[in-house]
Amino acid sequence: MGIDLDNVGAVSEPAVLQVEDLGVAYGHRQILSGVTFRAAPGELIGVIGPNGAGKSTLFKAICGLVNHTGTVTVNGVHCHDRTERMDLAYIAQRNDSDLAFPITAGELVLTGRRRFSAWYRRPTPDDRDAACHALAEVGLAGVADRGLLELSGGQLQRVYLARALAQEATVVLLDEALSGVDQPTTAEMFELFAQLAGRGTTLLVATHDLAMARRRFGRCLAINGTLRADGTPDAVLAADVLDATFGTAGHAPAH
Amino acid sequence: MRLLTEPFQLEFMRRALLATIIVGIVAPVVGTWVVLRRMANLGDAMAHGTLAGVGVAYAAGFNVVLGALGAGVVMAVLLLALSANRRLGSEALIAVLGTAGFAAGVLIISRLDSGVELSHFLFGQLLTVGWGDLAVNAALGAGAIVVIAVLFHELRMATFDHVHAEQSGVHVELVHGVLIALLAVVVVISLRTVGTILSVTMLVTPPATARLFTRTLRAMTGWAVALGVAEGVAGLILSYHLSGGAAPAATIALVAAGVFAVAFVLTLPRRQPHHHRPLA
Repeated sequence: MGIDLDNVGAVSEPAVLQVEDLGVAYGHRQILSGVTFRAAPGELIGVIGPNGAGKSTLFKAICGLVNHTGTVTVNGVHCHDRTERMDLAYIAQRNDSDLAFPITAGELVLTGRRRFSAWYRRPTPDDRDAACHALAEVGLAGVADRGLLELSGGQLQRVYLARALAQEATVVLLDEALSGVDQPTTAEMFELFAQLAGRGTTLLVATHDLAMARRRFGRCLAINGTLRADGTPDAVLAADVLDATFGTAGHAPAH
Repeated sequence: MRLLTEPFQLEFMRRALLATIIVGIVAPVVGTWVVLRRMANLGDAMAHGTLAGVGVAYAAGFNVVLGALGAGVVMAVLLLALSANRRLGSEALIAVLGTAGFAAGVLIISRLDSGVELSHFLFGQLLTVGWGDLAVNAALGAGAIVVIAVLFHELRMATFDHVHAEQSGVHVELVHGVLIALLAVVVVISLRTVGTILSVTMLVTPPATARLFTRTLRAMTGWAVALGVAEGVAGLILSYHLSGGAAPAATIALVAAGVFAVAFVLTLPRRQPHHHRPLA
């Protein structure tokens, strides 16, 4: 287990996301082990750790995309049967998607509605309204007809966030969503995160930007092979904890 | 004008025209997804591999179309079952299965005849297509288009973002399997017309051409079909005038490749400025 710090908020409130003793191995290589934490509704949590520490693996395991030991529950229900997984929205690193694919921003957001439908159904007018509404909420009502290559990096992230909104996800996992995004866009994204959190959505945002983590999050999880620390940014980003997480005290890796 | 209509005074040319149009519509509709999912190699292997089924059916005196369909299904099942092998991936496996099926087909057919039939299966016999073939092709083709239309949203989700698709309840593997089955259908439809080898032409070239200059899926599919039909008909007419109807399938393939080359060059300036996207 990691260094036990003040567990802000998460203890008294009911957990929307509960991770117990989670472990992931690729072949013989153990990537993560013994990760345990709870997240309350409306929490905005930064997940920090160096590149290769297992942040993405943690998110994928939570979504049931990789085999893992331990348990993950969402809203108290054991995860990873199809229906419950859809309460999670996973926004992968942006270079993962094929931006040349012939799909517009509006169509991408509309795919968030698929969980409410069946394979043989076409999207209904209500679905289209919900998708339009979601795009408007992230401030992108005007780009519905644009292809993905015609969007800026920040706009693309917001389009994916709109898909999570259309999906009505209760937990949103963002993997390095903010790397390579400029300052004003980062500020806009955090305004959006705050709005979502205010409505009860739980957000986990992976980053290796420690300065940003210190300023922007109420709670941070430090990950490197396991959960090294869990608490307020000031406590998690203290020198001795950083040393355990990054290997070298206070040295954020260059990006 | 006369040059265009003259070939179709002959009934066998009218049948050839219809067969070409059917392939020109169906293959690009399926092929749009083959191109987007980067499965062109699989299509090629499927086209070659089905010759095994054709050979077996020919030797046993069965319907060769059913034989090809059977071989296509066997290929599809083997590919899906074996492609989980991480050391090889599916790419090498596709080539192994495709060439093995092709070799088996060649061996069986050439033991039975002098090579006339073999070349018919390989390059089609567009000018001897019968009304019965046309009816079968039209029915299979219509079925394939209905399946694509019904699965349109599932295909798009599974192709663009298979992780999100799976989380949302899309049966990604099943969608992939259905598409492979449709590939087999296209190969079968092409068997009597452009032949097994050149069926890949109609499957891949028109959608690949359309991909160069379209932005939406509907536009890509629409253009692919328009190109497939136009290139098919143009190739047929051209082969009639150039060589009295010899090698229509090869002519169609070259016309399609020529159109692709022109589109590639014309769209080059548009694709060049690939610098960084503007920040928000």
